Amino acid sequence: MNAIVALCHFCELHGPRTLFCTEVLHAPLPQGAGSGDGPGRGEHAEEEEGGIQMSSRLRAHSPAEGASAESSSPGPKKSDMCEGCRSLAAGHPGYISHDKETSIKYVSHQHPNHPQLFSIVRQACVRSLSCEVCPGREGPIFFGDEQHGFVFSHTFFIKDSLARGFQRWYSIIAIMMDRIYLINSWPFLLGKIRGIIDELQGKALKVFEAEQFGCPQRAQRMNTAFTPFLHQRNGNAARSLTSLTNDDSLWACLHTSFAWLLKACGSRLTEKLLEGAPTEDTLVQMEQLADLEEESESWGSSEAGEEEKEGAEGREPTKCPVDSSLLSDCGNWQPRKLSVFKSLRHMRQVLGAPSFRTLAWHVLMGNQVIWKSRDADLVHSAFEVLRTMLPVGCVRVIPYSSQYEEAYRCNFLGLGPHVQIPPHVLASEFAVVVEVHTAARSSLQPAGCEDEPSLSKHEFVVTSGSAVAADRAGPTILSKVEAALTNQNLSVDVVDQCLVCLKEEWMNKVKVLFKFTKVDSRPKEDTQKLLSILGASEEDNVKLLKFWMTGLSKTYKSHLLSTVRSPMASEPRS
Amino acid sequence: MCGCSARTTARPGGRRDAAGGVSDGQTHRTLARSRIWKCAGVGRVTDPPELDNSWSCSELDLNEIRLIVYQDCERRGRQVLFDSKAVHKIEEVAAQKTEDVPTKTPAKCCQGGGSGSLSSHGSSGGSLPHAKEQLPKYQYTRPASDVNMLGEMMFGSVAMSYKGSTLKIHYIRSPPQLMVSKVFSARMGSFCGSTNNLQDSFEYINQDPNVGKLNTNQNNLGPCRTGSTLGALQGGGSKLPPGAAEGGPLRLSRSASFFAVHSTPVDMPSRGQSEDRDSGIARSASLSSLLVTPFPSPSSSTSSSSSYQRRWLRSQTTSLENGIIPRRSTDETFSLAEETCSSNPAIARRKKIAISLIFSLCETEEAQRNFQDFFFSHFPLFESHMNRLKSAIEKAMISCRKIAESSLRVQFYVSRLMEALGEFRGTIWSLYSVPRIAEPVWLAMMSSTLEKTQLCQRFLKEFTLLIEQINKNQFFAALLTAVLTYHLAWVPTVMPVDHPPIKAFSEKRTSQLVNTLAKTHPYNPLWAQLGDLYGAIGSPVRLTRTVVLGKQKDLVQRILYVLTYFLRCSELQENQLTCSGAWGPDEQALAGGSITTALERGEVEESEYVVVTVRSEPALLPPHTDTGDLCPHLAGQGGRGPEQSPAARGTRRPRGASHAPVKPWGRGGENADGPAPSGCAAAVPREDAGLRREGGLPRNESSDSALGDSDDDPCAPASPDLGPGSDGDSEHDRPEGSPEVELPLPSCSARRERVFAVGSDGRYHLRSQSVSTPNVRNFGRSLLAGYCPTYMPDLVLHGTGSDEKLKQCLAADLVHTVQHPVLDEPIAEAVCIIADTDKWSVQVATSQRKAVDSTKLGQDVLVSSQVSSLLQSILQLYRLHLPADFCIMHLEDRLQEMYLKSKMLSEYLRGHTRVHVKELSVVLGIESNDLPLLTAVASTHSPYVAQILL
Repeated sequence: MNAIVALCHFCELHGPRTLFCTEVLHAPLPQGAGSGDGPGRGEHAEEEEGGIQMSSRLRAHSPAEGASAESSSPGPKKSDMCEGCRSLAAGHPGYISHDKETSIKYVSHQHPNHPQLFSIVRQACVRSLSCEVCPGREGPIFFGDEQHGFVFSHTFFIKDSLARGFQRWYSIIAIMMDRIYLINSWPFLLGKIRGIIDELQGKALKVFEAEQFGCPQRAQRMNTAFTPFLHQRNGNAARSLTSLTNDDSLWACLHTSFAWLLKACGSRLTEKLLEGAPTEDTLVQMEQLADLEEESESWGSSEAGEEEKEGAEGREPTKCPVDSSLLSDCGNWQPRKLSVFKSLRHMRQVLGAPSFRTLAWHVLMGNQVIWKSRDADLVHSAFEVLRTMLPVGCVRVIPYSSQYEEAYRCNFLGLGPHVQIPPHVLASEFAVVVEVHTAARSSLQPAGCEDEPSLSKHEFVVTSGSAVAADRAGPTILSKVEAALTNQNLSVDVVDQCLVCLKEEWMNKVKVLFKFTKVDSRPKEDTQKLLSILGASEEDNVKLLKFWMTGLSKTYKSHLLSTVRSPMASEPRS
Repeated sequence: MCGCSARTTARPGGRRDAAGGVSDGQTHRTLARSRIWKCAGVGRVTDPPELDNSWSCSELDLNEIRLIVYQDCERRGRQVLFDSKAVHKIEEVAAQKTEDVPTKTPAKCCQGGGSGSLSSHGSSGGSLPHAKEQLPKYQYTRPASDVNMLGEMMFGSVAMSYKGSTLKIHYIRSPPQLMVSKVFSARMGSFCGSTNNLQDSFEYINQDPNVGKLNTNQNNLGPCRTGSTLGALQGGGSKLPPGAAEGGPLRLSRSASFFAVHSTPVDMPSRGQSEDRDSGIARSASLSSLLVTPFPSPSSSTSSSSSYQRRWLRSQTTSLENGIIPRRSTDETFSLAEETCSSNPAIARRKKIAISLIFSLCETEEAQRNFQDFFFSHFPLFESHMNRLKSAIEKAMISCRKIAESSLRVQFYVSRLMEALGEFRGTIWSLYSVPRIAEPVWLAMMSSTLEKTQLCQRFLKEFTLLIEQINKNQFFAALLTAVLTYHLAWVPTVMPVDHPPIKAFSEKRTSQLVNTLAKTHPYNPLWAQLGDLYGAIGSPVRLTRTVVLGKQKDLVQRILYVLTYFLRCSELQENQLTCSGAWGPDEQALAGGSITTALERGEVEESEYVVVTVRSEPALLPPHTDTGDLCPHLAGQGGRGPEQSPAARGTRRPRGASHAPVKPWGRGGENADGPAPSGCAAAVPREDAGLRREGGLPRNESSDSALGDSDDDPCAPASPDLGPGSDGDSEHDRPEGSPEVELPLPSCSARRERVFAVGSDGRYHLRSQSVSTPNVRNFGRSLLAGYCPTYMPDLVLHGTGSDEKLKQCLAADLVHTVQHPVLDEPIAEAVCIIADTDKWSVQVATSQRKAVDSTKLGQDVLVSSQVSSLLQSILQLYRLHLPADFCIMHLEDRLQEMYLKSKMLSEYLRGHTRVHVKELSVVLGIESNDLPLLTAVASTHSPYVAQILL
């Protein structure tokens, strides 16, 4: 809790004094949002604020600083303090406790080091013991304002056989800036502080009784009734709390108790705040990452070797001439960056709307998308762009291969220009091939690409076993993606966000369908009903849903499968 | 009832009167009263959606809320300006008799109430001319004998020079009372200079005649001395009641100069006061101005205002570590003048006004604790109403000066104050005793895992029923649109996270980030919860309440129940913390700690449970943790052999709170239980692995390491110097930068119930449960109310049958909410969603603009097509018999879609100053009617959105 707890005493000679004070030091957050800098705080603050009210340095050099008075008063003099006004002996460094888990430190001194806090505590102490009125003089009060902070104070008496009235007056205060927090904590603070007070009083009472037994003061005082009291007490005028309680470890105890109090009050109420479930994409990515880690553990670097092989076969021949020439000419990587697809919109511009539509259609439906090119980077970038249309779980890429790979292994396949594709694949309506040729004339390229020399060198031919009819509506999501890409008002970032929305929207439909068909195994008519509820009863949408179902995360599927199957019969329905 | 029997007999009348300040007091209060008996007697409302979860109504006696207004003037000292205890209402008949039999008057008076006849004038602040005829008769007697003491407490024994307002709370032990006071500096206003006698303002003779200052006053009495006994003299003016001579009723001196008129009444601007204020507020709080000057609310000052940010900022702005940052302007003053004038230094004399409310507490300990729990946890609401009362007092003081005739003036003043007090009492009483929704759906789902399926089923059944039945004119869709738009706390609960779910998929996980923050930078969870509930997490900050109106109680209750799924907030748990630092038995004995053990039969037949309970652990914690000798001692004391581990403390609280053990400082389930000195573990040979895991005393790392570090007794360096012999003159400085003596920190552990079961194998099995109360002392349980007798101002959600009071109070309530935000941070707008099931309309009233036509409370809500389609698909899925928990998962997914769309929208708005809806509708099906909702959602994560669109 962001508070200071202090023990104050009304000294018969010197008035209200702060005896002992426990502060909380928090670690700054990693974000650096906070300005507090934990351990170095003290000195830091000194430099910033020293001299404004009262420099800690000055205090540190002054003798008897441990019992120094308020900032406004002239420097504390020895005559201004006595045993009763002092807790830790001068020179005692104070106490500290670490809460390792939270990196919070609890520090106790007689006064806070920070000058501003010093005066805040001082003020609270004075108010607690000489301004605020508590009926019966012992008890809890809350007071405060925005400028000086808010204070919960509990005043109490401690028995002292030598004191006037046989008792001395103390208070334990808790200071916070968050008044609502402090007021909310009243019942808790009252209980715990009362407990501490009870024990202090108990200890003191024992001492008192022992002293009275040995030397009854009342009788003695009666006998010397006319002697001015103060004079009579000699040096015993003010006794330290340690001697009143006969507990040498008192301050260490108080530190521990105050630190616990601060800690406990901050954790008395705990909050349970829920956050949203991760998206399907996040889940799948995490699963893939976990798989990858397992794999790499189990069979080392064999995959890396494969890639090297691929690179040697495919990449080298095409790229080398370009690279070497460019590198020698320009000495940087810029040209290479230009020969890639930057976004779906970019690709759509390069390929032209009809070709892109065909390609996107096949991508969305899970058909195999094969790119043949000499430029592996170009293919790679194409896949990176295209995959954004699909849920992560639906993407299986073989970026560049020297031979044809079956559709079950990948829905994105990059091939060298001379790799043979089996005829049945070429004829299939479930595959699309994009062939990248070097362009004969740059004028063939769409206007938008004139400033992109490397792409304008290429020509893209999109072919499929069965051409997609131009008037066929296709999956709903396709037209939406196209609409987003067409509208230049929507920035690339907006389009990305749109894709996220669209994918999640359809994955949510997929989830329902999965539950319905795979988990609950519901009859066909019901499924048809469900599909129309989902707004996905058209054939292409159904196909899309079925494909996307393969992209559901294992986590989700296993959750649905593990929970009790639909208790539809038993479920009460109105 | 806690009161004495004498009081009880007079109660019904008193109660009605006390609440009479609200204008339709008679009717609705009667309802309320019947409610009381119902609560007290039956306890539970039969309808399932609304179980009465309130505090016992009988614990709060309205008449036991006392108002005292005090003035402390530098020159004149203190005067009581008002004490509700001294006010006696004279019934018509009684008033007549007063003249004849004055001594009986007090008995016939109804203490402390406003009356129905009075209240019709209550809200219309400016109706001075008519005040005459209608004012009830009050008699103002000598303030109770304790006022002097109370004045001391309010102002303190030493004058403070502080100019701002000061807040104080006192606990008075006998008779048990709780006193809240606010002390303001008085602001006199422009015409102070013109009227000398204003400086004597609020004075009348009420003090002990022996008090010296009285004399000076009497010297000045002069012509003003109409000697009006407060209230007793109606118009008759100079005639003193017989009682006055006996010193009974008090006389006002110099017409108390407080009530004195300026010889020529200052002509006030004729505009109605409330009107004036309203417009001023609307202007100052209008969004346009907010956006020009950076609004000092967390949400707009940072890039993100997620739940996390809000909490983090709170902990920072209230931090003490680097000195303090005064957060609010401290210009809260008590206005004695109608207009704000540039303060004239000559007039800025030190004058303070204290307003104090005293709550008498029941004698029974439990009732007392209940009210205190309520009071301290709901303090922001109390304070807000107190501020309201203060404004009413200001108005009354200013207005009454315009009345020339002193007796009328007095009468006016007293009745205005009684009226305001009546309203305060009524509000507090309603807040305390209102029927609560026992099981808010969202909170219940969050906390109970056992009956989750039933919970889902029940909720979905109600939900779909509403979609089917009351979506006429899209009523339900409109309501839900409004709720989702303004009560925004659902947004963080659907924001996708980037880490995997730990538990069952359907269960969202708790925010680790926030959990960590709560530990490393504790903030006030109660405050955070209140903000969530009011939906105050967007930017600009808006504070929202929802009222469902309707004659059909059952229907309204169903709606309320369903809405508690969408009105979200964090769940709070109060942990019964014990310090688990190890301490020696000596200390324990000293502290009166004791161990009690009890045998209990286990549920399993062959096992017997031994419940070990330690009560009252010491509060003063010895720092050393000498673990070695602990176990034997404790075991010895417990008399139960070595299987008791030393931390076997935790009160006996047999209860079912087995879920979600809260480990505020613990580090997971293994050691949520406090430190387990290894020595102890060793001393428990028969424990199985489960013991240490579940119930063993896990160690607190810090104390461990501290133990390791401090081979020498940490107290050693301290003690020698501390003896009485060591004198304070030793000239050692604290060496700069010298490290403090390190002491171990005792860990806080949730109190655990330890149960040892002797299994059939003859071994001991230890089970432990953390004791934490799912308590009603938090806003999530207290501000979601059921069907109330009348409209209420504070509740986040409630239903009621009549809109009469709503119409009367709403505008003022909204303005008040903005002026005195309960969240302790500035808010931009206060909003109330009003769903009327009789008219099938949903309107949104705000503090910013007045309803266009007077028949309407607010603006009609646009139905979001996103919401509408969400409702339809849930209904359809339900009809297709998809299981309830799956439907709810889908519902959450759909809400998440809305969040994602808002992300898109905020991205879109980076590049656009206008939304071309068509562009978005082609792509995402967003329509213009979705924009308010999506914008509001976007404002929780992208504050700039509001600036662009508004």
